[in-house]
Formats: sequence, structure tokens, C-alpha cells
Amino acid sequence: MLDLLAQTGLNAVYAASYISLVAVGLVLIFGVMGVINFAHGELFMAGAYVVVAVYADMHMPFFLAVVVGLLFVGCLGLLMERALFRPLRDNPLGGLVASIGFLMILQALASMGFGVRMEFIPPVTQHVVWFTDTISIPLARVYVIVAAVLLLSTLWYFLKRTRFGWALRASAQDPQAAELQGISIAQTAKIAMFIGAGLAGIAGTLTAPLVSVNPHMGHSVIVTAFIVIIVGGVGSLEGAIIASVVYAFVHTFVTTFYGGVIADITGLSLMLLVLIVKPTGLFGSADRA
Amino acid sequence: MTQFLKVEDLTMRFGGLVAVDALNFSVDHGTIHGLIGPNGAGKTTTFNMISGFYKPTSGKVLLHEEDISGLKMHEVARRGVVRTFQHSTLFAELTVMENVLIGTHMPFRPNIFAAIIGWDREDREGAEGRAREALKFFGLSELARERAGDLSHGHQRALGMAIVFASHPDLMLLDEPFTGMNPEETRQMMDLMRRLREAGTTILLVEHDMQAIMGLCDKITCMSFGKFLAEGNPKEIRNHPAVIEAYLGGARHVA
Amino acid sequence: MLKYLIWPIAAVALIALPHGLSFSQQEILVFLTINILVVSSYRLLTLTGEWSLAHVVIMGVGAYASAMMTKNLGIYVPISMLLGGITAALIAVILSFPLFRMKGFYFLIGSFAAGEIIRLLWKHFRDPFGGAKGIKGIDPMPDFSIGIYNFDFFEPVSYFYFAGFIVIICLWILWRIERSPVGLTFHAVHWQDKLAEASGVNLRAYRTLAFAIASGFAGIGGALLAHYIGTINPGSFDLDYMVFVLTWAIVGGTGTFYGPILGCVVLTILNEVVLREMGFEQLRPLIYGAILIASILFLPNGLESIVQKFTKRRAKP
Repeated sequence: MLDLLAQTGLNAVYAASYISLVAVGLVLIFGVMGVINFAHGELFMAGAYVVVAVYADMHMPFFLAVVVGLLFVGCLGLLMERALFRPLRDNPLGGLVASIGFLMILQALASMGFGVRMEFIPPVTQHVVWFTDTISIPLARVYVIVAAVLLLSTLWYFLKRTRFGWALRASAQDPQAAELQGISIAQTAKIAMFIGAGLAGIAGTLTAPLVSVNPHMGHSVIVTAFIVIIVGGVGSLEGAIIASVVYAFVHTFVTTFYGGVIADITGLSLMLLVLIVKPTGLFGSADRA
Repeated sequence: MTQFLKVEDLTMRFGGLVAVDALNFSVDHGTIHGLIGPNGAGKTTTFNMISGFYKPTSGKVLLHEEDISGLKMHEVARRGVVRTFQHSTLFAELTVMENVLIGTHMPFRPNIFAAIIGWDREDREGAEGRAREALKFFGLSELARERAGDLSHGHQRALGMAIVFASHPDLMLLDEPFTGMNPEETRQMMDLMRRLREAGTTILLVEHDMQAIMGLCDKITCMSFGKFLAEGNPKEIRNHPAVIEAYLGGARHVA
Repeated sequence: MLKYLIWPIAAVALIALPHGLSFSQQEILVFLTINILVVSSYRLLTLTGEWSLAHVVIMGVGAYASAMMTKNLGIYVPISMLLGGITAALIAVILSFPLFRMKGFYFLIGSFAAGEIIRLLWKHFRDPFGGAKGIKGIDPMPDFSIGIYNFDFFEPVSYFYFAGFIVIICLWILWRIERSPVGLTFHAVHWQDKLAEASGVNLRAYRTLAFAIASGFAGIGGALLAHYIGTINPGSFDLDYMVFVLTWAIVGGTGTFYGPILGCVVLTILNEVVLREMGFEQLRPLIYGAILIASILFLPNGLESIVQKFTKRRAKP
């Protein structure tokens, strides 16, 4: 029993890693642009399809595919910023609806380019890390955990220690004041969008060999990310990370013991409960909606 | 006779800041009552507590000896206490007539089933009659079909009061009704308020314009830093040393 | 004179319409009729300023309720449809307690979560909801005849007449509500909720009322759909369908009663006639996505703004 708990806990750490990558990107975009990117799950999906194209079909090294995925999805983010969110600056609902439109386009492009069926991706590594006789984790999952820790701590450093980070935080708090301080909102929006989208893309590439890749895979990702950012407080990066961990543990344990659908219902109910009790989230006070 | 409106030990704290501190005063029926004070004295906060916009931290608002503090704004309104808002808060997208019709919501409560079948003709006519009366009172009849957002500033102010008037309140709470008005508009507005008083409506107003308030009010309550400072008729207030002190220390408003 | 003739002419045109179409087009016409009800009921909710992402799921509540009532209790189909609508409205009232503690963006996400929970419940409980496969073999509308015309409800033409009749009654009720003091109050709640509240309007009650009415009619729409296609499952009421409804409403514009209907009709014609005939069926989500974005960017007030421009220019010589 203790083994099962430990094993489930390990699985939860893996889930927390990729969920927090996605959720932090979503929060970053919301913080700077004031828009909820509904297409964030599809950015994740796009990252996964880069792996399908570069690694599975073209037989390039997996880590090249990861880098291509990061850049490609980051550029998709830049495209969204330029084409959708910038013209719709004063219309948060419009930005959200436009991102729903973008979501449909990405889904359609994926199913046209690759077909609607699940893709087969050859495993990157067959290694399994054994902790005891019964507790283990595939090396591919360790990659995800390591990447999440590295990327998020880099982002942390970037946000807290560099001028760019300062500008980003300033424009998230008060765009007008930031503009007066000589910060270019357009510039920070681009950076935030590239990083936010890139994080979703890299999460997609790293998990691609571990999950079923199909054009509709973004749906469960965005539902999860919504739950996490609502629970964590819509404007709070720290909240998003903490909520990712909480959610991943709750969801993984409920899945293990009661099944996936009950776990999904539990997660959504958790989010509704937070919305009812404290709509600004457990860690957030930012309210730009 | 029971007191019409009485405020007892009304207190509002925002975090550590005490915006209104144990305030006491009462409003007599059929009067125009002014609430004044330098900037940041807590007038608008007091106002918001009476109208149900804020829930007071402690203390009571007694209307005919019933405690209405902490009720929702529509519940306060249904007891006959109706407020206006600072600036031109109107239904800008709707016509002037429609704006005033919303003011008749309380006396002519819409019924959805009657509305579908068409059995609410009497109510609709009654509401329209009431709305026309309100428009006429405020001299807006000609503008009934205009979009409210297109009106001039003075007309928008009048419309804001017409909406309140249409509900025939016992007590009208007016939040800085003279802000941004030219002397002519101010004079007309003062006239309207006197007529409202004659029609039996009690008025409590928060105002910066000293000239208007001195010429209009029967009784004035002055606040400073969230506390009660002085009360009396315009003449008493004008010469009250504490009031002069407060204003000279704060703004340069007293004429 | 023209004013009195316009309704009979429209009625005759609607009766004649399906006879000029192919079988598959007749089927599309039935779906279009139902979708008009769904999108019009959605507009009633948007009158109070709230945009929900649960509308299609609530439509599904009506569909499930009506299907289960006929299947398990043997209730006569048209009555079960009405009961389906009432069930949807009641569920909306229950949902309103948590949801209307939120506004704007939070309401949007909250409604999305509530809808997903309902869909997951359908998926999880094989009894009574049939799990992921849903409910199959839903009783069709029983045949009957009025005078010379025999309604055979396996024929889309008959079902079109039946659904069209129901939908027109529903639209008439929605129209009456919008034009009544209740409708005016909905507008008031949208544009200046604080001023409305100060005028004695119980905001929560009116938001709930709009949500319940919109949901009730959506539920009737769902029931109409269920008894026509005969099988429903959680996937029938997914986010894609919700996006379609959203697209119809936004492309048409929600400022007028006819806006969303216009959006629904134009996009359905575009989709079914143009795309399907030209063999671009696969591109459907792509084109819908592009249209959604284009209309948000370039036509923020919807197709209705074009119509208004046209009619206004004609009115002013």
C-alpha cells in the first residue's frame, strides 16, 4: 500500500511538472495582456505535433525536435499577439473569443496535416529509473520533471532579477503606469506571448512520446490549466505552480483509486468551489477581468 | 413622532483605515439635508452605507426605526430610499424614456407571464404615465426619444434625478448633483429640488458647491476625517468655528 | 397593406421551402430550425450581459430529460419536450446559485466548468444516462394527421413543419419577453447594474430569470433534436457545438433580435451549401474559426450592423 502511494506520488510529480509549464504560460499571458488564451491547449498540441513531424517522421534527434517545438510554438504565440490580441486590446472578451477561433484553426490544420487518428511516436528512451523493487519512473518522465524545474526556475530568475522581468511585472500590474516609466507595452506583450506559448509548446513536445497525440488532445489540457489558474488565482505565477502541484496530486490519486472521470469531476468541482468562495483564487488578488 | 432617518454610531473601516468613525445624525421628514465636509471626510462613504452600496463595519441606519444597514441596495430602494450616483451614471444606450421607465420598476413591478400574454396593459400604461410625469417635472419631455448618452451634461443630471423621481421615493439621496454644472444649470437644479421638497420628498445630498448648499438646505451636517463635526442651519454652519477651521485646514471651499 | 400580407407570404414561403430541396438539404433545414431556437435563446441570456459556455450542455439537459422521460416513463413526446425544457430551466436555476456569484470572465469560466461537470456525469453514469455511448433508440414523434396532411415524422419535411411550429411559438414568446418591461430590465441590468439596483431591481433575481428562460428554450431545442436524430451522447453537446452557437451569435450580432438568427442562417447556408457542395466539408472548423476571428476583428457589431446601415440609408432619402 505504501508502495502504491509512493508510486502514485511520483506520477503526480510528473503530472504537476507539465501542468505547471502550461499554466504558468497561461498566467503570464493573462498578466500582461489581460486576455485568457483559450487556444493554449492547442499550442500544447502543436508542440506535440512538431515532435511527430521532426522526430517520428523525419527521424531527427528528439532534443532537436524539442528546440524546434519551443521556437515554432513561440512564434505561433507571436502570431496570435500580432493578429488577435493587439487589435483587440480593449476587448478582453473579444480576445478570448478570437482565441477560440484560433483554437479551431489549429485543430483543423492538425487534422488536415496529420489525420484525426492517434499518432504513434517511437519511445525516446526505454530506461526506467528504479527507486525500490516496486517504485519506478520512466526516464522520459524524468526529462519532463527536470525540464519543468529548470525552465520555471530560469523564468523565476528572469522575472525577478532582470530588467525585462521587471518590465514584464510592471506592465502586468499597471499597464498605464508602466508605459509612463518608459516600458514598451508592445515589446513586453511580445516577450510574454513568446515565453507563454513556448512553455506550452515545450510541455507538448516533452510529453508527446508519453501521451496519445491527436488533434483534440488540447481540450483536456486547457480544462486542466483553467482549473489550475482559477484555483491559484488568475494573476499569480506562484499560485499557478502551487495549484498545479495540488491539482496534480488530487487528480492522480483520485484517478488511481476511483477512476479518471471521477477525478475530472473532482477537479472541476474544486475549481467551482474556489470560484464560489473566493473568485480571485487562493493566492491571487489581481483582478483585470 | 418617530425619527424619519437616523444614523447611529455608523462606522466603516477599509483595512486599517477608518473612513467613517461612529457617526450620528438624523434627517427630518420633508427637509433638504446637506452632508458636507472637506475632501476625504467620508461623506460619500456615509452615503454609500445608507443606500446599501456598502455594508457598514458597525453601527445602524434606522429608517422609521427599522435597521436598514447591510441590506442590499434594491432592498433599501424598496423601502423608499433611492439614490443617484456621482457623474452621469445612466443607461447610456437606452432612450430617455426607457431610462425613466426603469425608474418605475418598483411601483409597477414587471410580471413576465402577464407580459407574454399581454395582460399587463394597465401596468404598462401606468408606468408610462408615471415616466412622462417625471420627464415633465424635469423638463425632459421633448427629449424622450433621444439616446440618453447623447444628452448634454445638465440634461443627463436631470435625467438621473428623473429616474429616481419616477419611483416616488420618500428619501432621495443625491450624490454631488451640482458637479460640473454652470451657474444657470445649478440655479435650475436648485429650483427643481425645492419643488421636490414641496411635493413631499425628503432630500439628503452630498455636495462640494457651498453656494448651492447654503442657499438650499434646511439643515447641514458637517463631517471631517470621518467624524461628526457640526450641525445646524446654513447660517450656523457658515459661522461655526470648527467648520471654518476644518475647511481652511483642508480645501478653500467656504465662500 | 404590405404589412398585413407579409406574414401570410412568409408562412407560405416557409411551408413551400422544403419541397424545393433535396433530402439531405431538408434534414439540414430541420437542424437549422432547431439551431435558430438555440441561438435566439442564447441571445436572451446575453441581454443581461453574461456570456455562458454552458448553453449547449443545458440544451443537452433538455434532450436527455425528454429522451429519458419518453423511454422510461412512456410520456407522450410533445409533453416530454416541454418537460425537457422545464428540466433545463430548473437545472439552470440550481446552477445559478454558484454561477451568479461570479461575473464576466469568471462567469464564463465557471459556466464552462459547470457544463463540463454535467457532461462528465453523463459519461460516468451508464445508468441512467448511458455513459459515453449515450441514449439510443429515442422514441420519435408519433405520427398524426391534421385534415389532409399526414405527419410522418421519419420524413424531414414533416419534422420541419412540426419543429418550425414549435420554434415559431418559442420565438414569439422570446420576442414578447424582450419587448416587455422585463426585457427592458434585462437591458438595464446589462448596461448599469448599480443604477438598476438603486432603482429597486433585484439583480440576482433578474440574472437568474434570464438564465432560466434562456436555458428552458435551449432545453426545448435539445429535445427537438433528440427526438429527431434518435440518439444522443455527451459528445453531441461538446465545446465545438458551443463554439458554433457562439459564432452564429457573434457573426450575426447580439444587438437585435434578428442578429443571431441571421448569423445562424447565413453560416449554415455557407457551411452546408457552399462548403459541402464544393467538397470542403473537412475545412469546416477551419473556416468557422477564421470567420469567428474575422468578424470579431472587422465586424464587431455583426451582420446586423450591415442590415441596419442599409435600412437606415433607405429610411433617410
